[in-house]
Amino acid sequence: MVAAIEAKKSSKKRKATLEEEVPPSFPEEVDLDMGTEDEGEELDDASDGEVDEFPEIDARSDTDDGDYAADGASAEGESEEDDEDDEESNDLSDEEEHHIFPKSKTIISDITGQPKRVYPEIEPDYDSDSSTEDTPNRVGNIPMHWYDDLPHVGYNIDGKKVLRPARGDELDNFLKTVEDPESWTSAFDTNTQMDKPLTPEELDIIRRLQENENPDANYDPYEPTIEWFTGKGKEEIMPLSAAPEPKRRWVPSKWEKQKVMKIVRAIRQGRILPNKPKTASAAPQFYPIWNDEPSNAPAPLPAPKPRLPGNAESYNPPEEYLPTEEERKKWEETDPEDRERDFLPQKYSALRLVPAYGQFIKQRFNRQLDLYLAPRVQRVKLQIDPESLIPKLPSPSSLRPFPLYRSLQIGHEAKRVRAVSVSPDGGWVVTGDEGGVVKLWEVMVGKEVRRWTFKSKVGAVEWCPRTDVSLFAVAIEDHIHFIIPPNLPAPILTASQNALAPANLPPAPSTPSPVKWTSVPAAQSSSDVPILTLNLPSSPEPPKQLVWHRKGDYLASVSEGQAGVWIHQVSRRHSQAPFKKVKGAVQLVLFHPSKPHFFVATQRYVRMYNLAEQTLLKTLTPGTRWISSMDVHPSGDHLIVGGYDKKLCWFDLELSDKPYKILRYHARALRSVAFHPTYPLFASSSDDGSIQVFHARVYNDLMTNPLIVPLKILRGHTVRDGLGVFALRWVPRQPWLVSAGADGQVSVWCS
Amino acid sequence: MASASTSEITHPVVFTTQTPYPLPSQKFMIPATWKRYQLSQLVNKALSLPKPIPFEFLVRGEVLRGTLAEWCAEKGVGEEETLEIEYFESIMPPQRMSSLPHEDWVSSISCQIPGYFLTASYDGAIRTFDYSQKLLHTVLAHTAPVSSIAVVPSDSPDSQLIASASHDLTARLTRVDLSPTAGPSKAQTLASLHLHTAPLSSVAANASGSHILTSSWDGLIGLWDTSIPGTDEVPAEETAGGDRKKRRKVAEDDDAARPKRKAPTAVLKSHTARVSRVVFGRDGAAAHAYSCGFDSTVRTWDVENGVCTGTITASSKPFLDIALSQDGATALAASTDRTVCQYDLRASTSSATTPSVASLAHPATPSSIAVPQPGSASAHQLVTGAYDGVVRLWDLRSTKAAVAAFKAWEGGKGKDEGPKKVLSVDWARGMVGVGGEGGVEVWKVGEGERVPIAGSA
Repeated sequence: MVAAIEAKKSSKKRKATLEEEVPPSFPEEVDLDMGTEDEGEELDDASDGEVDEFPEIDARSDTDDGDYAADGASAEGESEEDDEDDEESNDLSDEEEHHIFPKSKTIISDITGQPKRVYPEIEPDYDSDSSTEDTPNRVGNIPMHWYDDLPHVGYNIDGKKVLRPARGDELDNFLKTVEDPESWTSAFDTNTQMDKPLTPEELDIIRRLQENENPDANYDPYEPTIEWFTGKGKEEIMPLSAAPEPKRRWVPSKWEKQKVMKIVRAIRQGRILPNKPKTASAAPQFYPIWNDEPSNAPAPLPAPKPRLPGNAESYNPPEEYLPTEEERKKWEETDPEDRERDFLPQKYSALRLVPAYGQFIKQRFNRQLDLYLAPRVQRVKLQIDPESLIPKLPSPSSLRPFPLYRSLQIGHEAKRVRAVSVSPDGGWVVTGDEGGVVKLWEVMVGKEVRRWTFKSKVGAVEWCPRTDVSLFAVAIEDHIHFIIPPNLPAPILTASQNALAPANLPPAPSTPSPVKWTSVPAAQSSSDVPILTLNLPSSPEPPKQLVWHRKGDYLASVSEGQAGVWIHQVSRRHSQAPFKKVKGAVQLVLFHPSKPHFFVATQRYVRMYNLAEQTLLKTLTPGTRWISSMDVHPSGDHLIVGGYDKKLCWFDLELSDKPYKILRYHARALRSVAFHPTYPLFASSSDDGSIQVFHARVYNDLMTNPLIVPLKILRGHTVRDGLGVFALRWVPRQPWLVSAGADGQVSVWCS
Repeated sequence: MASASTSEITHPVVFTTQTPYPLPSQKFMIPATWKRYQLSQLVNKALSLPKPIPFEFLVRGEVLRGTLAEWCAEKGVGEEETLEIEYFESIMPPQRMSSLPHEDWVSSISCQIPGYFLTASYDGAIRTFDYSQKLLHTVLAHTAPVSSIAVVPSDSPDSQLIASASHDLTARLTRVDLSPTAGPSKAQTLASLHLHTAPLSSVAANASGSHILTSSWDGLIGLWDTSIPGTDEVPAEETAGGDRKKRRKVAEDDDAARPKRKAPTAVLKSHTARVSRVVFGRDGAAAHAYSCGFDSTVRTWDVENGVCTGTITASSKPFLDIALSQDGATALAASTDRTVCQYDLRASTSSATTPSVASLAHPATPSSIAVPQPGSASAHQLVTGAYDGVVRLWDLRSTKAAVAAFKAWEGGKGKDEGPKKVLSVDWARGMVGVGGEGGVEVWKVGEGERVPIAGSA
């Protein structure tokens, strides 16, 4: 109470001082208009406050006066205030001559016996109101900027326009500033539409604002502290409450004692070690996270995310989400496990109509189960359908014809058949087995026409590719026999005889060759015995391969051991060993179909020589451990190499020394590979008893890779002693395959 | 039929036929336990045929072998489904009549001479048997395997002219005297036909016996007349060295007995690969010939002018044999893709490949086709021999499966080796001669006690 009174008093004082400084010549309603018109509104508001405040004092004093005047009876109760008012009035009395208020008389109150000021009655006419004096216009307290663009500044009480008072031009203003020393402290008042000098208080406020001070002049930032409850004369002597102080304030706590005693007992019984050796000090202060081996375990999986609600979960879903009657029935009929969603969308007009969610507990439980028991499968980021990685291959049925079934089967008395060859016209097959039997038979009927029996096993048979002669070579022991098949037309028979046993023998080579050529004269020749025989240097095994050059004059033979590779020229009866020394054992040789190139396959490498220039062209590295078979594409640009380690390598000779493709599809070692001379086919045979047929289309365009499509696995040969199909040959002009196996069978596979 | 008890399961059935014995096209409720016999009785009784005719029934292209219920269970056909059953006159199951053993493979057999069988073998001999399996003649006509024989029809039944084609690049004409008084030596090779430079694949004679066609691996077809020239038309071929002298000496010795060398009257050239078979057309004048080859074509020849008038091109089907149907309008060709296809010979050759009318799928390479002689009742039937040793009887009205099949030379060869191949079949007068790896067997097939129906063709 005291403080409030004090504060009131001080504020009154402040207002009084303000009033003191107000010059009486100025009207009470002070307004400021400084700066630009934009800010006018704010300033108006601010000025409104000012405007309100000044008359408030007046009003207060008025009402006070009124109170005193009206309620004479109640004045007694307020005697205390009156005392203070007296002080105030003393202050005010100094300025009475300046004040516009009517002068008061001091009288002695007959009730209290105290002096009392009495003011004359206020006549309620116009003169009495100071605010009504000489207001230049009466447009009212309106935002003046409404009329900025108009010639008038508002309307008077009669609804007439109040015109904007004339203002001097710029020159007048300038002259006025020059002449009038006070002009720079004046500001334009929009209400009165004229310049008004600022009051000293306003100037002081402006100065304070400029100096970043509190604009209130009476504000004292260093007021002395008032110690309200402990200060002098303000101490609190009486207690706030009359209740006696409780016992617990001075009696020690029983519960604390019990807790402490529990600990003490535990210490005594040794359950708690009071001075436990501090492990923290023994352990290293910082954990060396980099010293440990990084764990190989997969990173802990994040918990499965709950599905976010969609439109169907809404309490007011769109119509299309609401189930139809059939869907609802179907949903109800299906098992809860099989349901697509575990609720039915329902529509409510308002959220407050939505009942409690019946599935809540169950769903929460399931979610907990998910978190706890969910199979934490690491999701692979790359979701690639493995099917899409398989190259798009044309269907085999669109690549007909190719061999499909076994048409014929020719027995060889259960001896292994290692050698097979098909005549260039595609009508006859000659096969040789390990018992030394060479059979000649028809491809289509399989009837054996002629049989030759030799002493030792047949290493290779090869039909001469020439069409003007008909003969084939058989490799047995150290010999190569040349045989003319029976039933030949006379011109071909004569040509064959002349090719092998000409009447005039070519001159013997100047240097003696280890290869001896012996022939039967054409007159005594028949198809029963070889017409020409070559005696090679002795070797434990028969030559394992015979290869004719495409022109049918040169024949290359490959033998085991040092005898190695021989190239025999039939027309000149000359044999030569093209390689003095070859690194590794030569497995196979092959003539290039169009160029004077010669392929030599050792165990691991295929070397390509130019026979005309006698240079090594390139060395192909198939990457197989042991090359078993090799064939060159009829175009001469591609080579396939089969290995005993189940691999088949396709070389693009133009492309690289490395295989273009490595195919590994046979379960056992490859034994033979062969390109078809005309059809885009090749086949491979293996010790697993199967023959696999491939489509191999080669493009002339160097940019297009060869297309290799697996077509057919031909099974039928039985594996005997771990050996399967030894040799494969295609029938020229037909997509037929002739295969010879270790089970003594020769099969013809037809399309 | 109507009295079938209600407890019995019945099946709705509609009968169709191409025979002259049609049933009204209404739905029959047939007990599911019925077999062919009951169905056949039903048809006979329904038509009240004077003499019972056994019928064979095709359910959806398959010959009904068991009960209807078994068939339905196998195919998963419900009881309510209406089955369309086609029927035709059944043939008697083939019966083996006789076996004519041969030393070597038999490449060709002919049953065209009544009372006799002619066989050609890979040992180069032509053999004649009579119906009592007695070997009458063995003519060593060729030094190389004989690939085909044909009987040149003639007026005299006792003296038959036989044409044979061989791997020794010639065809020969051999006259065989079949008169009962003739001794075994009455067979003489009269002429050798020299044209081809590769083994011959087939020989055929026309109905009048005036001309012969030979086909060869070299892609040529030779047309010959059957007259025996007095002198050699083709000079003896030049062989090497002293052989010539020796042969000339031999030739001088028996000049009369030596076969005359004969040249062709025309050469039909159009095939690009081996010609596997050539046959004359069915028309009496034999103005047309048909041939098939490894170049996957069936060609029609105008024999008189020696030009190819039509080509049916199939896609990668090397043909092995061709036979004309009885009306001569379609050709049946066997190819190495294990089918026997029927081609319409009247079809234009505009398209690149001609579709086949029907296709009979075999499990092995079909090597030969035989069609019964014109005039016999079984106009839709044919017999094929295949490399699996099985001879199949087909009805062209049901191409899904063979009507009957029998295996020649039961037992086959060893375990590892394949079955004995059938290389040739011929069908005449209800007898099918099967020649192949195991010799010759004669089977009695169908075409027996058939009663011609009035009004039927």
